[in-house]
Parts: sequence; C-alpha cells; structure tokens
Amino acid sequence: MAHMTNPLATPDQLCALRHSPNSLPSELADLVFFQTQCLTQAAGLLLQLPQSVTAQANVILARYWLVEGLMSYEFSDVSAATIFLVSKVSSSPRRPRDVCNVYAYLLSPSSTFLRPPSSPPPVNNPKDYYLSESAFHRFHSRILNLESRILYALGFDTHVSLPHPLAITYLQALDFLGTPKQRISQSVLRYLNTALLSPQMLYLTSQPNALAVAAIYSAAKDTGAKMPESEWWEVFDVDREELGFLVVGMRSVQGYMDKLREEIPVDGRGKRGLLWRKDVQQEMARRGLEISIPNNNNNSTKSGDAEDEMMRLMDEKVARMEEYD
Amino acid sequence: MAKPSAFQQLEKLGEGTYATVYKGRNRQTGELVALKEIHLDSEEGTPSTAIREISLMKELKHENILSLVDVIHTENKLMLVSEFMDMDLKKYMDTRGGDRGQLDPATIKSFVYQLLRGIAYCHEKRILHRDLKPQNLLISKHGVLKLADFGLARAFGIPVNTFSAEVVTLWYRAPDVLLGSRTYNTSIDIWSIGCIMAEMFTGRPLFPGTTNEDELKRIFRLLGTPSERTWPGISHLPEYKPQTTVYPAQDLAQVLPQIDPLGIDLLKGMLQLRPEKRISAADALRHAWFYDLPQVRAQAQLLQQQQLHQQAQMARTYGGTVQGNQTGY
Repeated sequence: MAHMTNPLATPDQLCALRHSPNSLPSELADLVFFQTQCLTQAAGLLLQLPQSVTAQANVILARYWLVEGLMSYEFSDVSAATIFLVSKVSSSPRRPRDVCNVYAYLLSPSSTFLRPPSSPPPVNNPKDYYLSESAFHRFHSRILNLESRILYALGFDTHVSLPHPLAITYLQALDFLGTPKQRISQSVLRYLNTALLSPQMLYLTSQPNALAVAAIYSAAKDTGAKMPESEWWEVFDVDREELGFLVVGMRSVQGYMDKLREEIPVDGRGKRGLLWRKDVQQEMARRGLEISIPNNNNNSTKSGDAEDEMMRLMDEKVARMEEYD
Repeated sequence: MAKPSAFQQLEKLGEGTYATVYKGRNRQTGELVALKEIHLDSEEGTPSTAIREISLMKELKHENILSLVDVIHTENKLMLVSEFMDMDLKKYMDTRGGDRGQLDPATIKSFVYQLLRGIAYCHEKRILHRDLKPQNLLISKHGVLKLADFGLARAFGIPVNTFSAEVVTLWYRAPDVLLGSRTYNTSIDIWSIGCIMAEMFTGRPLFPGTTNEDELKRIFRLLGTPSERTWPGISHLPEYKPQTTVYPAQDLAQVLPQIDPLGIDLLKGMLQLRPEKRISAADALRHAWFYDLPQVRAQAQLLQQQQLHQQAQMARTYGGTVQGNQTGY
C-alpha cells in the first residue's frame, strides 16, 4: 500500500530542524515556512495548476527543508523549484518561463501578495516584474540547480499521497444526519489545505488517513453535524490520541498565523514579511543574533570547500555593510 | 551516490529516446555495469521520465526486473548505474533465433514465464510498465529475462486517474488505449506480453501497424471487429469510429500453427479485446501451459510432497482412532 502512504519525518529530523546550531528562532522559522508555503499556493493559482499539484509542491517543499534546512537556499527559489518539479511529474507541467514570470510578479511591489487587506491596493507597474533575458536566465539556472538538489535530497522520491481524495471517500461512508454533504466537504477541504501551511508540518508527521479523519472531525464540529456515537475514527485506523493532536493542530493554524503576522513589520511599500534570507538575517541582527547564509551559486558544485567558505565570509561581510548603510 | 569516476565507461550499447546506454566497469570491483546517461535539458532540467524511472526502480526489487545500483548526478547529466545484461530480446531474436528470428518453444515458455513474473510483481506494487516491447526486455547469457526501461511507468492509485493516451509503442499497444481510453490499468501490460509471445514464435511482430488506425485494423482483422454487443461501451471511447469493414474473428490456432493448444489458450486470454476480460499476470502464471517448466514442476513437486507429508501425518494422528474403531470399541 505504498501509494497510499507518505514517508514521515523522524523525531530526530524534526528536532534537528529546530535545535541545530544554524536553525532560526522558532517564530522566525514558522513565519518563513508559512509565508513560503503561501507563496507556493499563490504561484499555483497564477500558474492555473490544480490544487492537487500545488498541495504536493507544499509537501515536497516541507520535506526538502526538513532534510537541508531553511536557510540553504533563497526561500522563493525553493518554492519556485518545487512547484516546477512537481508540475513536471504531474499531468500539468509548466514551462520554466511561466514559473519565472509568476514569481517575478508575486515578489514585486505590484502584487497584492502578503499585503495587509487594510492597505491601499498596489499600483500595477509592469516594470516591477518585467524579467529581462539575463534575469530570466539567472532565475532559470538557479531553479534547475535547486531541482537537482531537491531530487538528490529526497532520493528522487517525489511521490506524495494527499488526504483529500481519502477524506471524500470517508465522507461518503459516514452519514452526518441532515447536514448537507457539500457544506461539510467544503469545510474538510479548507482544513486540509490550511494544514499544508502549518509550520507544525502536519503532512510530515501524520499519514493521509489521519489527516483526513481529523479534517472531517473538525468540519463536523464547525458545521454542527452529528457524528456517529461510536469511535468511528478507529474504522479508518486512527487512534484517539493522534486524532486529538491533529484536531488541535489543524484548528490552531489560523489563529497562530494571525498572531505571527502582527509581529512582523510592514515595509515601506506595504509588503510585510521575511521573503528573503537577508530579511531574516536583518531581523536576527536586530535581536542581537547572527546567522550565516550559505553561498549556493551555480558553481558551488565545482569549487572547493575553501572557496565556498571564502565566498560565504564575503557575503556575510557585504550583508553586514549593507546593514550599516 | 558514487562519483562519476567510480565507473569506467566502455562501448556504447544503444541510444534510447532520452538516454544513451554504455557498458561500464566498476573500477573497484571490476564488475560490469550498464550506464544509462541522461542529458539534462538546458530548458527543462531533469526529464520527468528519469525522475519516474529512478523513483520506481528504487522500489522494485525482483529477479526479473533490472536492478538500479546507483545514481550519479553531475551538473549537466544524470547517470543510472544498473546491472549489466548481455542483450535485449530483439537482438537475442536476431542473433539466436531461427531463419526468421523465431525462438524455440522451450525458450519462449521460459521467457514468457519470467516476463509474467516480473510484471506480476510490478502490478502487485501497483506499478504499470506501459511500454513493454522486445527492446525493453533484457536477456542474460544464462537465459534470465529482466524488465527494463521504466521511463514511462507510473504508479497508480485508486481510483485510477486519467492517464495520458500517448504511451506504449504502437505495435504492442492495447486496443482500449488505441481507442483513447484514459482509464486503462494493468491489462495494458498483459496485451503487450501477448503480442511479444506471438512474436517470439513467428519472429515477426504480430500487429506491425503504421498508424493508430492501421494498428486497430490489424488487430480487428485477426480478433474480429468489436461492436457494442461484444464490447459494451466501445462506441463511447474517444477515438472510436465505426469500422467500414467488419472482420470476423479468426482462429488463432490456425493463424499461429507454431503454438501448441495450451499456449494458444493462454495467448487468447492475453489478447482479449475487452480489457476487463484479459487474464491477470497472477492468473497467467498459474496457467497449465507452464506446468512442464522445470521451475514450475519443481515447485509443484515440492507442494505435492508437502501435501503427501501432511496427509501421512494426519493419517498417523487419526490412525489410532480408526484402528480403535475397527477393534470394536
């Protein structure tokens, strides 16, 4: 039944992500995770990808970060590379040029992405997101390089089993007296899609059947649907403890994200967030902490370790100089 | 993952649609390997076929499936290292076959059996090969057959997604796929095996069509033109066109006199026009045609001995009671 299950994160991996010497303070890491996953979703919409493809890209991105850490590559590049890779192995591949254009737009001041709803709508200035041939070429080669990196890190396993179809199957089997199935199923899908953005990485800690059951439980509670009196989740191989954990996790995503977002300053042009690694570095510096950004340009596979180290130090120096500007 | 220098590249073995295959040698062990070199497209990066092939081959470990030893990833190419096989079935037929490339019945039976074992394993793991043809079946010098080239293969879940209709080389393509069905399943691989089995007997491809329509016409000419009556739902398939000529089904035994009656029976099971009527790989392996294969016979004998042993034990256990009754207690 390998096609119905996913590889899960080991406790060691989860621990290393949070507590290794080079990891970010947890609320910064959470914010980066959340924003990058949102960026992937936004790009999926603009690329007109089916949600099943975008959702798989979210999961692949989380798996990749689990293996290599958040700071190894630029966040938006990782997002673009995963969506490019996942769409390629799906039945709706997207051209590199389209992927690059969409990300150039989303990251430009002209897009509404990550703009607080209260702020005035941005002025659409196509110059902001026009990608010149050479800029495209650079972006493109970064993405292909990262694609190889991701495939290598994940051992070429790009299979993701999503809980969405399972949840619909389970819903068919359950009888929620009197409540229209459509209302419940919409709420179920909302929970499953929101959980993709959760920094708790629920898709890496639980199998699809457990996610599906937890989403149904939460949706039934919200819509006031009457659930079977028996311990129905056991029918779907989920025990009470896991269900409880997932329900709490799924229901807290929204609130936690609202709180996180408020702590992050809005930049001069109305955008908020930590979309770039240098933003994270600045925020760390503001808190009196330090973090290095690994240098991962295209030639890094060729050059020796010493050269890498040298480049990294230079980057740091430049970054520090920029801070004092 | 090993360094590229771990393997010495020897002569070129062949060129595929997206890769070049070389013979190679492991510098440390001296072992021969096959090196499949995939060029990374400067536009599209790693080909999706390569990603699928690697992820599936890592899952598949069976004596009738080519095993992947290593993957070497460099900046502009990807190299799949697999065990070395002497030749593919097409070349085997060209060099070892009779005057027209046909093989002897014992070899054919062994190859069909091994082919079915490999594909039964894939199907059990819910993986479709989708591109079975003589060029993708590798033969070792000891007569071991292994499935290779999983570039078009894919895992399927339930419900079966709509798949791309552009798969499987025309000559081995199942009629339901030719008619544009997008919900095909394991039965498409079985059709291909049927075509390959017939080809081994005659040395000629069974349905060497030039176009989609020609391929269908050749199939119908042999197996009879299907109708809504013989194949309910056929007229709703996307590529279905009412045929101008309605062919009656021919007797396979007469068209293929080289094949014995049991073999014909199995072939008929594999070459069913309707996919749901096609025999499964697991059932085909239990077909009486294979009973005289040495490995099947050995297995049957073992089973028989076990049964005899059990019966003997049971007789001994219950023996006392029976005898007791006889003495009149």
